[in-house]
Amino acid sequence: MADKEAQTVTAGAAATTDNDKIQAMLKYDKIDYQTVELTGEIILPTEPVDKCFAHIKPQLLTDKKLLANLGYPTDGLVDNWKEVFLRKMDEMLKKYKSVRVFMDICVKCGACADKCPYYIGTGDANNMPMARQELMRKVYRRYFTVPGQLFGNWMVKGEELSLELLNMWYTYFYQCSECRRCSVFCPYGIDTAEVTMAAREILNSVGLVQKYLHQIINNAQTMGNNLGMQKNAVINALEFVESDLQEETGIDNIRIPIDEEGAEILFVTPSADFFASPHIESLYGYAKVFHQAGISWTMSTYASEGGNFGLFIHNYEHMKKINKRIWQAAKDLKVKRVVGGECGHMWRILSSYSNTMWGPFDWLDQRYPIPEHICEFTLNLLKRGALKIDKSANDEFIVTMHDSCQIARGMEMGGTEYGQFEIPRAVIRYVCDKFQDMPEDTIRERTFCCGAGQGLLGDDMLPTRVKGAIPRMQAYTAAKQAHGVNFIALICAICKAQLSKMFPTYGYPMEEVGGIHQLVGRAIVLGAKEGV
Amino acid sequence: MGGMTFLTSIAISSLFYLSVFVFLAGFIYRVSLYYSTPQPLKIPQTPQPVNVGGVVFRMAGDVLFFRSLSKGTTLLFFAGWIFHITLLVTGIRHLRYFLPMVPDVVVWFSHVAIFIGFVLLLSLVVLLIRRIVDKKVVFVSSLSDYFVLLLLICIVFTGLLMRYAPFRPDIVGIKGLMLELVNPVTAFSLLTLHPPHAPANYMFAIHIILVFILLIYFPFSKLMHMGGYFFSPTRYMVNNPRTKRYVNPWDKEPGNLTVSGEGGQNNG
Repeated sequence: MADKEAQTVTAGAAATTDNDKIQAMLKYDKIDYQTVELTGEIILPTEPVDKCFAHIKPQLLTDKKLLANLGYPTDGLVDNWKEVFLRKMDEMLKKYKSVRVFMDICVKCGACADKCPYYIGTGDANNMPMARQELMRKVYRRYFTVPGQLFGNWMVKGEELSLELLNMWYTYFYQCSECRRCSVFCPYGIDTAEVTMAAREILNSVGLVQKYLHQIINNAQTMGNNLGMQKNAVINALEFVESDLQEETGIDNIRIPIDEEGAEILFVTPSADFFASPHIESLYGYAKVFHQAGISWTMSTYASEGGNFGLFIHNYEHMKKINKRIWQAAKDLKVKRVVGGECGHMWRILSSYSNTMWGPFDWLDQRYPIPEHICEFTLNLLKRGALKIDKSANDEFIVTMHDSCQIARGMEMGGTEYGQFEIPRAVIRYVCDKFQDMPEDTIRERTFCCGAGQGLLGDDMLPTRVKGAIPRMQAYTAAKQAHGVNFIALICAICKAQLSKMFPTYGYPMEEVGGIHQLVGRAIVLGAKEGV
Repeated sequence: MGGMTFLTSIAISSLFYLSVFVFLAGFIYRVSLYYSTPQPLKIPQTPQPVNVGGVVFRMAGDVLFFRSLSKGTTLLFFAGWIFHITLLVTGIRHLRYFLPMVPDVVVWFSHVAIFIGFVLLLSLVVLLIRRIVDKKVVFVSSLSDYFVLLLLICIVFTGLLMRYAPFRPDIVGIKGLMLELVNPVTAFSLLTLHPPHAPANYMFAIHIILVFILLIYFPFSKLMHMGGYFFSPTRYMVNNPRTKRYVNPWDKEPGNLTVSGEGGQNNG
């Protein structure tokens, strides 16, 4: 190690090692973002342009302590990176049926090409989903198939490993938000998200680790939340929310319980809900729902985060370790149910993967879904008439709903295949009079990503985020023009963070962005029900 | 048997066994690879049905009617679907060469066979033109993508030519050859250099040799989507991970959450 460092120092500007060269290629430049005019129409690029967005790259993680914590190389690109790369890729192909099958069966028909928000936004050919997959498939065909091994690259359009290839991988696998929209249109259901996740983990294994995403994975593993807050900071934040809530409602027994053993429900939500805006409005909403339902609940400082960025890279161990906190907290606090707040990928992991990683949950109350989504929970109460609602509180809003990608395309809700579309909308309709959907090809299973999902929310990715948000912004504009919509209801912390930044960027007020439980919270009439 | 006839006969016969062997062995090998590769987590792409029956129904829609493709691209959907369905009909129609007794359905298709053949050719040409004209597809296309289309076009074209003079082969002779070839005993007669007699018709020879090339190429190519689709996790997995625990084949142990008190402790 010491030798290598010495070598790097003496090499100086000559940039002789592969690591020096790749560091120069991936050097982060702060580049200004560019918006487009909002017309309400999603305009597809007339022609794909190769590498027109290749200069946008996220920052690399260089903190050696963090890298060591995460089990990745600490000194940038490792010397024998080709060997490590192929070994890791082989492992991915052997461990993930999705990766193995998706590498083989694409016929390059192009059905997915213009479905990706990043392609629509940037017009860069490499952002077409099949082209993004091609970046990996090129290597797959060259090193892992018979024609590639026999006839070489000309027949199969394979590619040798090179620094330029690494550069392309690092660039374009971080211009994908793993939103799975392409897989809706693919005749075989090929899911680019699975390919991107594998590619990112391969990049990690050779030492090219993206900063924003992996810092958060480290925080979540060591501190229990993405923001890296200590226990007392979590308590302070939640106590502050509680006193705010009591002040606002004038009810002094409305609470945000923390670490209360024996509560009925453990509630987990992204830590952004504790103080970010507009996230916090939804936290008020959750608390009001629990309060009015009269069900004891608690939040946990140990599992102070619902989000789990381990999903965004095919690193099962990271994801499992982060996920453990939630179920460990549920066990330790002796709760009977687990309810999850508004978040997309959190909900997908919680509902789809938890049972595999930490189940079976036979020690929780089997009469309720494990875990239960807050929208399922609230809708049940609303249907039973357990909550008194004053819809006029939301009269100023004409509401539309943005289906978060990981919820809309990830998992059933309410036990039916369409529940993830209908249940959140049903909740909105219970608390608002005026609801209008955005154009049909931008919602439900065809929903467009907010533009910052799955590890792209960092400020260094702003140019990509602004481009990726274009379809959603145009769809919202269309609904605004047609119906006068002035509020977009979200069920995901990342969507909230992204759109509350994009709305002002594109000239709409930030107040038009909010959570579904923000609307619920406004409409709930607190206090004893009549006749009780 | 004259020299040329003998050579043609032995070439066609040996290529028949070689290509069928490579196709079957390759196809089975690749599919067994798909089958045996573990899928760690449930990743159905919703709206995915929550029970097995629903999933089978949805997959049938994908296979028979190109359900998901129909959502995106109209031209590709129609051209692709027509190509696949006419290829299927043409394949069924060719059964008459391999079965001693020809089933009624195959006989019935004879009324539309020519028409189907031309539609098949036309759909392939449309797909090829699309691959040359559409800039998005061009960007990812490689030689192998054009190769498969051209190969299929040549097969269909030579097949169609044989319907017309002067290319008409001896149909009865071809049926005799095929019936002999599908009898495994014939494989051994090859070893004694007594191949079944192939009708002397170069158009037939080209047609069938192209088919052999297709069979050999199949398992190494994207044509594996035929078998691979059924192993696509976004499509075959049932959407019920909350109600039924899915076991990760490489992490089977149920989660071990002992009451540690860890959850209540300070972690900072």
